[in-house]
Amino acid sequence: MSPTDHDTDAMQDDVTDLHEHPRDTRRPGEAGFTILLLLASLFLLYSAYDISGFEALSAPGTLPMVTTLIMCLTGGLIALRTWKLPQIAGQTFSREILPPVLIVMALLLLGYALALKPLGFLPTSFLFLTLSIKLLWRQGWGRTLAISLLTLAIIYLVFRVIFSVLMPAGIFPEAEMLQFFRNMLGGGA
Amino acid sequence: MDAFAAFFMVFTDLKLLALVAAGTFAGVYIGAIPGLSVTMAVSILISFTFSWDVHPAIALMIGIFMGGVYGGSRTAILLNIPGAPSAIATAMDGYPMAQRGEAGTAIGITTVMSFFGGFIGIIVLALAAPSVSQFALKFQPRDYMLLAILGILLVGSLSGESLVKGIFSGAFGILIGMVGMDPLTFTGRFTYDLPLMQSGISFIAVMIGMFGVSEALAQLHHLDSAAVKQKISRIVPSFGTIKKYLPLSLQTSSIGVIIGALPGTGGDIAALMAYDHAKRVTRKPSRPFGKGAIEGLVAPETANNAAVGGAFIPMMTLGIPGDAVTAIMIGALFIHGLNPGPMLMVEQPDMFWFIVGALVVANFFMLIFGLTGIRLFTKIVEMPRAVLIPMIMLLSVVGAYAVNNSITDVYWMLAFGVLGYFMRSYGYPLGPVILGVILSRLLDDNWRRAIISEREDLGRFFHGILTSPLSLALFLAVIFIFFSQTPLWTRLKAKLLRNKNQEAQ
Repeated sequence: MSPTDHDTDAMQDDVTDLHEHPRDTRRPGEAGFTILLLLASLFLLYSAYDISGFEALSAPGTLPMVTTLIMCLTGGLIALRTWKLPQIAGQTFSREILPPVLIVMALLLLGYALALKPLGFLPTSFLFLTLSIKLLWRQGWGRTLAISLLTLAIIYLVFRVIFSVLMPAGIFPEAEMLQFFRNMLGGGA
Repeated sequence: MDAFAAFFMVFTDLKLLALVAAGTFAGVYIGAIPGLSVTMAVSILISFTFSWDVHPAIALMIGIFMGGVYGGSRTAILLNIPGAPSAIATAMDGYPMAQRGEAGTAIGITTVMSFFGGFIGIIVLALAAPSVSQFALKFQPRDYMLLAILGILLVGSLSGESLVKGIFSGAFGILIGMVGMDPLTFTGRFTYDLPLMQSGISFIAVMIGMFGVSEALAQLHHLDSAAVKQKISRIVPSFGTIKKYLPLSLQTSSIGVIIGALPGTGGDIAALMAYDHAKRVTRKPSRPFGKGAIEGLVAPETANNAAVGGAFIPMMTLGIPGDAVTAIMIGALFIHGLNPGPMLMVEQPDMFWFIVGALVVANFFMLIFGLTGIRLFTKIVEMPRAVLIPMIMLLSVVGAYAVNNSITDVYWMLAFGVLGYFMRSYGYPLGPVILGVILSRLLDDNWRRAIISEREDLGRFFHGILTSPLSLALFLAVIFIFFSQTPLWTRLKAKLLRNKNQEAQ
């Protein structure tokens, strides 16, 4: 449950029982997800066996085998329970779980990560902020550009200048710019 | 440096004082803005502060922790949107109060009560931790192992939809922590002969992915929720009001400390339990619960702040985190070369007293910032999510990059972000994953130590567990958590309750 979609009356009844109740329907894509997790767990169990087999109880592979076995068992149980539930009515995978805006944002993020090193922090971040704020906020270009510049300036000030975090410089002469401002502020000292 | 000097270090060092203040201030707002969580902020901050000295880094994080736990109540009262999970219970009576035009009173009481609860938590921490750590020196490796399992199980059973999903998440976390070269035998584990996997997966990348990116992705579903404007009048509550709720707040603070001190359970659970307690013990609430009862505000707010101090007890004395945020703090201490556990308390008691001092200062700043700056607050909280989400994403990428200057960490972070989003959507709790990652090493080391000292004999291992009172208690607790999730227990409980009711009649 996300903190935003609830009403207090319903929560009032729930508070004696701290659990979010197990649902009696499954969400779109949930059954597939449980299978994926189960398959991944089985593969990991095999890899864990591969580490040292049944060599000794204190061998490096013992706890990984126990862990992955637990993942397989619980994963299997979850899959079984989930498959038994009817799918929730009126929800589709492409609307409730993976709407287009989410895919686009995820791709933008990936693009940001890819471009960060070659292009450098400032240009990449500016591009990312502008594009994503434009996409999500649906306002004019003027406001979008202003907000993303302002946001970038704040982040840059806080993290690069105050926290002195090193970011990839890339194509933008960032160090020179900083030096310029330092000289200006420090009165050439 | 003795304990006294370490305790007052934050009070006397202007830079540290400023950092705690800045942290608390930021924490109040981070906690208040729905979509920004303390866990997220602290995990991103680790990467930005890791080049600092340990003291300023911890000071800042403690400020954020303290402020953040409190900050969630603001939006819970004003907008009926808990800014943090620990404020879910606060919304139940806080928002009805705001609807009656008593938002100011509600915020005032919340602030003072959070301060009060926070103090109780810190006092218990200061008094209990040294003796707990003395006691902890006697712990056997198997006790640590059992404690780690207990912590993961507790957080798994109390959050999310079912214990089974919690266990899956916890095991997954432990597994992530094991990837890389085994420190004892130097065998590769889950490395698939890839150089990239041999150094393991950076736990900061996992944390930022799970709590930063996945949260940001989930927030995309709530782009259009509108903010409600509120007029706020008088804030500082009268002394009479505070006195009236003192007995209740003492009880709920105790609940908070205890729940906080249990490994794995934090402020959110403490707040709900305290709310439930208040509902049961209050004969004549100021108004019915759920309709704006002040008792319904006092209980969760004292409890969740008291849980902060509580959560530090297992973290400092055993190296076992009290909740997700302290799990991340343990990570931060690791990075700074400190190894939380009973030996830390013995070898470097300064660090402990420094943290206690920082908590006290943060608590005062919370009171100050809580009672002022409401106007600025309403402005900041109205920040559109369309701007907030890209910002979180950007900070997550930069944060993951900054730790090792490595793009690989960024890819790990993104992968865990996407996985975390799906896990979140399908009701898998993420807290146990983080606890698992942090506790993986401790669990593995102690298991192997324990079994080697029993000459690889499982029979002797269990004999050891059954004959030591402490191990037995921990073992039974683990068994009980499993049992409490089975249908058998539900039936038994129903039967017991029925008997009780019949006796009452």
